[in-house]
Amino acid sequence: MSSSNETAFRLGLYRTMLVIRVVEERLAKSHQRGMIPGACHTYVGQEAVATGVCAHLRDKDAIFSTHRGHGHALAKGMHPRELMAELYGRETGCSRGRGGSMHLFAPEIGMLGTSGIVGPCILQATGAGYSFKLMKQDHVGVAFFGDGAVNNGAFHEGLNMASIWKLPVLFVCENNQFATEVPFESVAGNPSIAARGAAYGMHSVVVDGNDVVAVAAAAEEAAGRARSGGGPTLLECKTYRTRPHSEGMGDFTYRTREDVEHWKALCPIKRFREQLLSEGSASASELDAVEKEVIDLTEAAHQFAEASPYPSPDSATRHVYAPARASALREGSVQSTKPRELTFMKATLEALSEEMARQPEIFVLGEGIGVRGGNFATTSGLFAKYGPERLRDTPICERGFVGLACGAAMSGTRPVVDFMFADFVLDAAGEIINQIAKIQYMSSGRLEMPVLLRGCIGIGHAAATHHSGSYYSMYANFPGLRVVVPSNPRDAKGLLKTALTCGDPVLFLEHRELMGTKGDVPEEEYYIGFGEASVVREGTHVTVVALALMVHKTLAAIELLKAEGISVELIDPRTVAPLDSETILKSVAKTGRLLIVDEAFGPFGVGAEIAARIADSGFDELDAPIRRLNGKPSPTPYSPPLEAAVVPSIEMIVGAIRDLCAE
Amino acid sequence: MEEGTFLEWLKQSGDSIKEGEPLFTLESDKAAQEVESTDSGILHIPDNGPRAGTVVKVGAVLGYLLAEGEAPPVEAGEVKPETAPANVRDEVPQNSVAVGVPARFSSEGAATISAPASPRARRAALAGGIDLSAVTPTGSSGRIRERDVLAAQMERDRSGVKWVDVPTSATRRLIAERLERSVSQTVPVTITGRCDATGLVCLRNQLKAVEAVPVPSFNDMIIKITAGALHAHPKITGRWAGSSIQFPEAVHIGFTVETEEDLVVPVLRDVASLRLSDVARRSKELIESARSRRISSSEIRDGCFTVTSLGSFGVDAFTPVIQFPETAILGVGAISREAVSLPDGSIVSREQLTLSLTFDHRAIDGATAARFLQTLRKRLESPTVWLFND
Repeated sequence: MSSSNETAFRLGLYRTMLVIRVVEERLAKSHQRGMIPGACHTYVGQEAVATGVCAHLRDKDAIFSTHRGHGHALAKGMHPRELMAELYGRETGCSRGRGGSMHLFAPEIGMLGTSGIVGPCILQATGAGYSFKLMKQDHVGVAFFGDGAVNNGAFHEGLNMASIWKLPVLFVCENNQFATEVPFESVAGNPSIAARGAAYGMHSVVVDGNDVVAVAAAAEEAAGRARSGGGPTLLECKTYRTRPHSEGMGDFTYRTREDVEHWKALCPIKRFREQLLSEGSASASELDAVEKEVIDLTEAAHQFAEASPYPSPDSATRHVYAPARASALREGSVQSTKPRELTFMKATLEALSEEMARQPEIFVLGEGIGVRGGNFATTSGLFAKYGPERLRDTPICERGFVGLACGAAMSGTRPVVDFMFADFVLDAAGEIINQIAKIQYMSSGRLEMPVLLRGCIGIGHAAATHHSGSYYSMYANFPGLRVVVPSNPRDAKGLLKTALTCGDPVLFLEHRELMGTKGDVPEEEYYIGFGEASVVREGTHVTVVALALMVHKTLAAIELLKAEGISVELIDPRTVAPLDSETILKSVAKTGRLLIVDEAFGPFGVGAEIAARIADSGFDELDAPIRRLNGKPSPTPYSPPLEAAVVPSIEMIVGAIRDLCAE
Repeated sequence: MEEGTFLEWLKQSGDSIKEGEPLFTLESDKAAQEVESTDSGILHIPDNGPRAGTVVKVGAVLGYLLAEGEAPPVEAGEVKPETAPANVRDEVPQNSVAVGVPARFSSEGAATISAPASPRARRAALAGGIDLSAVTPTGSSGRIRERDVLAAQMERDRSGVKWVDVPTSATRRLIAERLERSVSQTVPVTITGRCDATGLVCLRNQLKAVEAVPVPSFNDMIIKITAGALHAHPKITGRWAGSSIQFPEAVHIGFTVETEEDLVVPVLRDVASLRLSDVARRSKELIESARSRRISSSEIRDGCFTVTSLGSFGVDAFTPVIQFPETAILGVGAISREAVSLPDGSIVSREQLTLSLTFDHRAIDGATAARFLQTLRKRLESPTVWLFND
């Protein structure tokens, strides 16, 4: 770098730090004046870290940050007015008023988001690194996090995965010595953060986080290593936050005034100004001019934000889901001339294989889904075709690889997480519910979340309680998720094809007892849309809604009831979210009677939701109370007679239908 | 009387009316009657005055009698609708309806107690016009289901008769009420007996031959003879009053007259004091009044006994319904020529008549009634003696 370029670069660092400082102080003032309706976590004192790291990043590099992310957003290139408008809750804010201080999104400049939860940013940056490596792009993923995050599982799982797959990731720990208000040394067995990198075979560096030049130099080296395939780096930047954890909070219960004053004296901006002056890189008047420009910029940003309109309340639920994509190959438009008999698993394997061939951005994560081909043969034969990067065997760290999938989806790939049993993935519930489900909305629709989360559900084979859960009603409770529960090979293939082409995160839950069952599957390619229930049997006396295995048990019950002259209409919603209550209502309008047969627990379940909707929109259609037949609300027992006792049997379904018809 | 059906004006708007002149006809109780004016003046019939068939309350203003030169009142005959509710509201005490319970619901609830019905059943009942309180529930929880409503509807429709509503007249309703009351408040028993009416027929032929004016009908003759028989058997007119039985001082006998629409029962007063010719004359007048709907209410009340005849239709015996609160009624059958075996064994052709006597068994024993019927039969078989001996 020539000396004039070097000077310009250094002035740039100075200016960026100043922008962060002046904007934060202006925000602190605004918070005090009641202009910020929510929280405000400032970055004052730590400006050198964001500034130094981002100095060597490009727009396509992806950064992920924490609840203290204003500085990262500004350093990555966000205009102060977008940040301020967001905190003021305005339409012109970077998240269009959906996020506030802790949920900043600007994908256009590689600001892929900040989060109110400690840890996920580490996994998401790892995921971005995975995307860039898979797509052979020389971008890097960067996670900014505090010392508080390094005792979180996400740190260990993320660093380990980045290390084993040599992902282009920078893990930037801003060690400001307090995890919120808990001193780091009091909660760390080994207070050296950089030393932890060694545990994962990762290059680790300790940097003076208040020296912007040192940070920039370390980051330049780390980014260069990442871009050239050298893998990730852990940067421990020692620094200090000189304002309270959150504006308006007391600050001197957990630390002393003296400590804070000491660190204020070590202010990275003041320090760099003195350095610039002493080494003759800039004159005082030049630096004053920069300062004045920044103050004016900030004031203009404040005025812009204050003058901006609030978002329309009508838009409050916009961007929960991605815009629908219509497929030309709809189920109904495909008239198969050559249906073949395939197992459920073969049908889904075919769907995955077809879409992997078409979309190079699809990759699969899971335990034993590589060479082995999956515990349930869900990826059988694909490893040979697509290799280890697209069929990635993972460590047993569900939270880690689900969080990685989240970051990957945010940065341009389409991860498929094959978690074997649905019970396992509860370890990643926070990543699914707090991150994956919410990011389309928090980013005001500028990010899509094409993540497929698949695994098996259901009771059988004496699998006992950690291999038998269903969980779909839990997921269906969260906006932002699609929940698919197919009952036969044909539906499974068509629905998986839609799951692999839509922009939403999908829970694709396959009943273990159905995986080996066979059924006709068209030879031609086809898709089945979400929210389209299937009328499995037509009937006139009673409507039964059932999912997955219960569809088959109900079919057996229907055969038994034929002799009694009871005619049953059986509806399989196929997707729990969205739920096609229209088709159910239409059926109830005919029969006047509704029974929901569901293997999962009754309380707050799918049956309760269906019953509420039909009681509401179809009250006058009802000739009897709506009934539910559910699995018993208990953990699933092991011993076969106990196991059988908690699942609705064919006899119980027959009895429930008979009773309802007599009602 | 609380209300009546207005039939027609007998005068026109603008006519000069004198006190006592008939003004309009009104159908009430059992008959239509002419209502006379109690004042004089020029009749003004308002635009919203009653039309034929309008039910009018006692005291309702139907029209005006104006003095010479007097202008008819504005909004004649009707209170302005805007002011009426306000007045009504002022007069209704605030606490006349239970707080929070609209009267409509509470009264409806009381009127239609039924088993719980599913929403679908309720909808079907509304659509099919089925009264849920009359539907038998078959649901296992005792609920009325749609199928129960449909079954009730099918049952109703099975008759295949399409019913057309024809409103009943006040008279018809009154008759229905009286008949209902009679059957529910008496213990009616009917006995029948035959008598030889050859004498009656001969006598009437003789009266016709001498051109008696008027020629009494068989009914007139039977009524006259009945009056005598009732004097001989006063218990037949005794009314059951629970702790006592009430007897009339004079025996007034009603007889049924079929008019175009209804049945009217004019009453012949103190028949015992009348000669047969008086009975014949008076009954003729009453029949004409009844048929022209001009019979007055005083002419249809105070009956002690009724004679009703279906003879002209060829009916022999029947079970007449007592004109409550009377105690007995005589049903007169057809007089017809039949072969009769005499005590000497010879068979001759004679006029025969069957009498049906319905009586309130509470007040009258069977034997008492039978004795009366026997007396009546004997007297009818020798009519001359009993018709002309006074």
